[in-house]
Amino acid sequence: MCKTAAMRRRYWVSPLLAFCGTLGLTRNVCADPLRLRADAVAEAQAPAGLVILEGRDKIRPWLYAEGLVWTGAQNTPNADPAADVMVLAVRLREPHGLGEVRAGRFVVATGAVRPVQIDGGHALARAPWQSTTLEAFAGAPVVPRFGTTGYDWLGGGRIGQTLYSRATIGASYVQRRSHKDIADDEVGADFAAIPVRWLDLAARGAFDLTSPGIADALASAAVRMSPLRVELFAAHRSPSRLLPATSLFSVLGDFPSQSIGSTIRWEAAPRLDVLASGAGQHVGGEFGGNGFLRALLRTSDRGDGNLGFEGRRQDVSSAKWTGLRGLATLPLGRGFRYATEVELAFPDAPRGRGIAWPWGLAALSWRSSSGWEAAGAVEASATPEHRYQMNALLRVSKSLEIR
Amino acid sequence: MNQRLTLLMILSVALAACAGVLGLKGTQNPSHPFEHRAHVLKGVNCKECHAGVNAAGELDDVHFPTPKDCVRCHEKPHDTRDCRTCHTEPYVRASADLARKHLKFTHAQHMAEVKGDCVRCHLGVAEPNPTALRPAMATCFGCHTHQDQWAVRDCDGCHVDLEAEHVKPSSHVVHEGDFVREHGVRAASARDLCSSCHSERYCASCHGVGTVPLLPARRAFDEPQLSGLHSAGFRSRHSEEARAQPGVCTSCHSENSCKDCHTRANVAAGGKAQNPHPPDWLAAGRGGGQHGVQARIDPASCAGCHGGAGEQLCVGCHKVGGSGGNPHGSNFRSTKNKTRDVPCKLCHAGGL
Repeated sequence: MCKTAAMRRRYWVSPLLAFCGTLGLTRNVCADPLRLRADAVAEAQAPAGLVILEGRDKIRPWLYAEGLVWTGAQNTPNADPAADVMVLAVRLREPHGLGEVRAGRFVVATGAVRPVQIDGGHALARAPWQSTTLEAFAGAPVVPRFGTTGYDWLGGGRIGQTLYSRATIGASYVQRRSHKDIADDEVGADFAAIPVRWLDLAARGAFDLTSPGIADALASAAVRMSPLRVELFAAHRSPSRLLPATSLFSVLGDFPSQSIGSTIRWEAAPRLDVLASGAGQHVGGEFGGNGFLRALLRTSDRGDGNLGFEGRRQDVSSAKWTGLRGLATLPLGRGFRYATEVELAFPDAPRGRGIAWPWGLAALSWRSSSGWEAAGAVEASATPEHRYQMNALLRVSKSLEIR
Repeated sequence: MNQRLTLLMILSVALAACAGVLGLKGTQNPSHPFEHRAHVLKGVNCKECHAGVNAAGELDDVHFPTPKDCVRCHEKPHDTRDCRTCHTEPYVRASADLARKHLKFTHAQHMAEVKGDCVRCHLGVAEPNPTALRPAMATCFGCHTHQDQWAVRDCDGCHVDLEAEHVKPSSHVVHEGDFVREHGVRAASARDLCSSCHSERYCASCHGVGTVPLLPARRAFDEPQLSGLHSAGFRSRHSEEARAQPGVCTSCHSENSCKDCHTRANVAAGGKAQNPHPPDWLAAGRGGGQHGVQARIDPASCAGCHGGAGEQLCVGCHKVGGSGGNPHGSNFRSTKNKTRDVPCKLCHAGGL
């Protein structure tokens, strides 16, 4: 595609304007500081360079503005410089907590509505007796890199009710249109409760109205008995109903997948955390499972050094593999820190992709008290596509507060 | 016998060493930290050293003792240097400085309520080897229920800016376990609670379609101890992980994500890559080989490469009257108008 000079300029100018817009919003900063952060990231493999700028400010306790833009360049044939605004949002909050309004570009995720990034608005109102909440949102789904699509929009809302300060139930609805056609039309229900201090319950489910049936449903129950936390979870997913209803693949009918399992976190010692998880799965008429065991040992009370280990096994349908991972971080003093991570993944069926996929990374980072950070790493791996691959990564960051 | 004794000794030494590493026993601290407990047991009133703390307002200095305060009792110091050179731990001071920066709090208001009993909040001073002297939030909740503030997510009464504070809750909404998987179901009923600590970009860094072309885990490559999706060699195993959990990828990624990335990496259809499907993928006759079954297990994978204009590939055989036959599942129902709506009209052209 041929781009004019004006279009090319737009890639750079738009995020700059967006970012300046955020700063403009924060002109009247008083006691609270404006927080800025810039990250420059370079990767040798692509090779690519990326600059991420973010700014946020709580201008008054009830007014909050935030922006995050990135711009990058790839040194590959026909690659254009690219940029995008990830977040550009303003949030106004009623001082007594009776409601809030968000406008701009942000992610909407509430109730059973799956997260979607929109250019639009979101409003939340709480009844004065504080047990009922009402939410409404509308906007256009974000098209990456300043693209536009006509007649794409979505709208929806949620009503929630808190019961005796112990439980919340909610009902939500979302409709999304793509080129005027219905891409999503869902109702959902959610529930959360803490009936006693040591028990957390949560569940949510979405029902597809276009092709009637349960799109997805999740449930979780967690019991805390220090030093243990045991969680039971279950999930049901209908993959074709999770696709936009404008896709031909959404009308094939699918084999829903179900999983049920448990995660146990054990604070085995003051500095040693162990996490174990296992689940049985039913995918496409076949039974399988997955599980992992992860341990993290902090080498000091402050946690600035760590040793970690993880073993993982997945055995579902045609996806069968075993993985081992180890990590270590070591403070070197004067703000320097060394980190290393290695992983070995063994597919059960290599199919010409290699019998093991090793991956390793060694990183050195430095952090100053003045807000500067720098980190560099060398990464080496053997992947299904490449027998041997090396990569260098570099990140330089600066955070500052302006009062 | 000697061998057993040697083995036992080695085991004992190993266990003793492990106890230190695991934090089961206090490690020897060469800096001789200030012994709050000894002073508390001696009956020294906190205000004798922390002079003026009982009247301290929100913006006043933190009241750390000076050497002058020490020598009032310790008349003959064993060293000529400033007491704070050894008898201090930097994180205690840093923690107090951060508290002053992040919290709206006056000692003056609280001292009257607790009748000058500092230990009621600063529980750590009575412990042998305290790791923190700043009261945990659970201690605040001992008196302040904050039920009304909690209901309206109003944390501004105490916290200056929770998002900037990067605080990890220890007494409520605890993010432990496999929270990466768990957060979706927990957030469903309380998105507004999440946003009391997490900024917009926190959600957008994973759930945004205009996401920075660098995953958060990739950006923090020097912090491997943080758990996150797509960590370590995810690129190598992403195909296995996607097939094991059909539908999970589409929780965050659009069906075009696969194609976009594969095109960039030059492994997409039309690139240098060969046909990724096995030989029995498209067999003639009833069932048509593996592709029908696999498409029902994980339709998002098919849509990843064959979405959009690529759907014509299916329509060639599966149109009404075509050789592919009816592709709908046995319980297929739809509220769409088959002659007017997308995608029905792709196959049901002419009202068939």
